[in-house]
Amino acid sequence: MQDLAIELNNVSVCYLHNKRGIYSIKDFVTKGGLFSPFDKKVILNNINLKINKGECVGIVGRNGEGKSTLLRTIAGIITPSEGTCKVNIEMSPLLTLGAGLELELSGIENIKIYTALSGNYDKNKINELIDSVASFSELSLEQLKQPTKMYSTGMLARLAFSSVVISQPQLMMIDEVLAVGDKGFQDKCKKRIIEIKNAGATILFVSHNADEILELCERSICIEKGRISVDGKSEEVMKHYLNLFN
Amino acid sequence: MKPLNLYTLYFLVYKNLQLKYKHSLLGFVWSFVHPLFYLLIFNFVFSKAFSQIENYTLYVLSGLIFWVYFSGSCNQLSQTFIKNAHLIKSLQVKKILYPFSEQLTELISFLAGFVVFIGLMFFLNLKINFTILYIIPIIILFSIFIFSVGLILGSLNVFFRDVGILWNTLNPALFYLTPIAYSSDIISNENNFYFKLNPLFHFFYIIRNVLYEGKSPSLHYSINCIIITIIFISISALIYKKTKNGFISNL
Repeated sequence: MQDLAIELNNVSVCYLHNKRGIYSIKDFVTKGGLFSPFDKKVILNNINLKINKGECVGIVGRNGEGKSTLLRTIAGIITPSEGTCKVNIEMSPLLTLGAGLELELSGIENIKIYTALSGNYDKNKINELIDSVASFSELSLEQLKQPTKMYSTGMLARLAFSSVVISQPQLMMIDEVLAVGDKGFQDKCKKRIIEIKNAGATILFVSHNADEILELCERSICIEKGRISVDGKSEEVMKHYLNLFN
Repeated sequence: MKPLNLYTLYFLVYKNLQLKYKHSLLGFVWSFVHPLFYLLIFNFVFSKAFSQIENYTLYVLSGLIFWVYFSGSCNQLSQTFIKNAHLIKSLQVKKILYPFSEQLTELISFLAGFVVFIGLMFFLNLKINFTILYIIPIIILFSIFIFSVGLILGSLNVFFRDVGILWNTLNPALFYLTPIAYSSDIISNENNFYFKLNPLFHFFYIIRNVLYEGKSPSLHYSINCIIITIIFISISALIYKKTKNGFISNL
């Protein structure tokens, strides 16, 4: 019996959803918002999931069927409407691209704020991290001192990705971010993820690239309409996933 | 969790300050240029019209700096959740810290300007005595009041974006309904009751007690202010609690 890292019991997540598309007070009046303007929309439906420490799990599914919501629930950003979500290890923040990037501030400022907001407060450690982010992202010091609004999309991706993967998290959640960056940087990111994985971290990996998942994860789950439809060996899940589109 | 939140708060305030002042040449100077500019206009236009107000410049200044603090903070707070949408969606930071850090940022720039204006007030013949220390609890109370108003606006703004627009419309109206450039004496007695429904009236009354008349704040109006603040805190807490879980799906 291995240690459980993540345990989800009958987790359901509902959003209050505007039934009649009411997004302003004008709509509120004209569309009769007084009578139940909100509707419950179920995003995740009765999810049961157990992930062991050190596992690397791929998550696939069509757009908008609950992958990101699942990750946000595990990250504690969304509270489930029903069921319990238990995470037994320390996690690094959910990795979505450009999260927390302030375009007016310089790259260095952004790294500093981002690492701080995600839990590293020690001043010496922050400086150390800035150095390693700088070297990992291959951005020059001059570039890092520019406001990030001057960056290209690829540079932004490098900065954002580097700020997260540079620490050694115990639980890392990656949400469709490997697609950006040039070939060299993509390979570097993959290598870094494998390093993190080999160091014993648990990784949840959302991607639409079957090859990437096969390369990184032994186990995968496929989410359809808010439910886990398949959970098993990556090869089988990928077969199922690719069949969805035929 | 506690020290963690404190550090998070520190870095959010740091970020706000950087964003606010980094790319402006004058930086902190703006926090007193803005009221100073209005002061000059009011002094120029109204000092003759309201000649019955003694020391009109000091009268306007004492109200104006607090008005600028109020309206500026409410504007920022009404946008705070929308502005930080990407952070709310991906970091596990308590959501209340975003408006709180915004309020602290505003308080810091208000205080920076305030220090300068206190100097200016002495220059304008404000009586120097210890009663001026009463302004410290008043600022704290006023800040809590502003925070609750801003939190209400910010939470509702997530769901109905026109709350922010509505606020921009109401803002100048509120300015003219509050005795800042004129004295409340000019309001007739029968309208006086409605006039006092404006919560800001009570705050500006005790602020004037201290910074214009140079005496301790009226007990009656101080109690009013405390009651108003408690009411607004309760409303904002209720609204925030009801709405916070829906933020993510609406941002």
